[in-house]
Amino acid sequence: MRAEALKGHLDGLILATLKGGPAHGYAIAQALRARSDGAFDLPEGTLYPALHRLERGGLVSSVWSTEAGRRRRTYSLTRSGGRTLDERRSEWRLLSSAIESVLA
Amino acid sequence: MSWIAEFEEELRRRGVRAATRERLVTEFSDHIACEQEVRIELTRLGAAREIAGQYAEELASEETRHAALGAFAALALAAIGLVVSQAELGRIGYPGFNHGAATPLALIAIVAMVIGAQVALVCGTLAAWRALRRRREPSLPAAEIALIQRRTTIALAAGLTTTAAMLLYVVNFLSVLPAWWLALSGAFAAVASGALVAAWRANADSSATVSVAQGPAGDVFDDLPPLRLLRTHPLRLVTLTALATGGAMTLIVWHAEHSLIEGLERGGFEALALAACFALFGRAIGARR
Repeated sequence: MRAEALKGHLDGLILATLKGGPAHGYAIAQALRARSDGAFDLPEGTLYPALHRLERGGLVSSVWSTEAGRRRRTYSLTRSGGRTLDERRSEWRLLSSAIESVLA
Repeated sequence: MSWIAEFEEELRRRGVRAATRERLVTEFSDHIACEQEVRIELTRLGAAREIAGQYAEELASEETRHAALGAFAALALAAIGLVVSQAELGRIGYPGFNHGAATPLALIAIVAMVIGAQVALVCGTLAAWRALRRRREPSLPAAEIALIQRRTTIALAAGLTTTAAMLLYVVNFLSVLPAWWLALSGAFAAVASGALVAAWRANADSSATVSVAQGPAGDVFDDLPPLRLLRTHPLRLVTLTALATGGAMTLIVWHAEHSLIEGLERGGFEALALAACFALFGRAIGARR
């Protein structure tokens, strides 16, 4: 699936991935790839502008840690991020069921 | 050139600040190191220039909106200071123009306060309104960002003119007005000036990040749909607005001063000042093409 098709959904997908627990950028990219069975084959660099945007919006928070001698930024879902994720899920269910009804 | 070097160079070229660049470079270096650990030869990050460009465009949009809203808050503080100090002055009685240190100083201060406050109100509100209307879009066209920044800059310059005029008024009437009023107005003007300078810096910082995103800039007619009929008639727009504000000023002064002549004088001045400001700033704030 092309990155263009994911436009508008990437923020929700990242929040859903972080629902499982804190993760760094590479781990989030791998989780998205694995949970979509490889369907989400987006340039992984696009995750970072989205993560920074979500952080500026207070939906995720992040801290530095050191792993194998490398500095790493680990992201977590905030309470506000959790609420936004619930809203996105509801909106998506409504939208997908409406589209399904039309396409079926 | 390595992926990271190309990425960092593009961020620098786009004016992204050093601290932000450093954080991004550290995160992307970790990402590439993770890929190398599982023997991914060609990074899956995507094109370095595109990712850096996307980041700069989102950052420029976000910072511009933030600066416009911050400027509006600082202008609101200045407006509260101006209204309170003028209301208190009205209660104790306005001194005559020629009762202060120098009549020209009094006139300059009053005209600057009246015009500066109105320009700041109009431009600051338009900038904040546009920032709010487009708050959900991660990346705005460069022309749109420039429009919001111009509105914010003009609003802040007018706001600073107003607070400087408040201070000038205080200095001019030092020996005439009560000490408590001078202290109150001086303190309001000083605090509001500090807030406006901070907002100015935030707006200047936001314009350091370069966006090249394509797309048109909006205008006042997108912001205020009832005005759309006047989009291609700038002369009609300025005439109607000048008549409306001049008329309102005439009625207010007539009622307050019980003098129709004085009302007409002040209303006429208001209408002329509005027309002059439209000619000066109309294009910059998207009120005419």
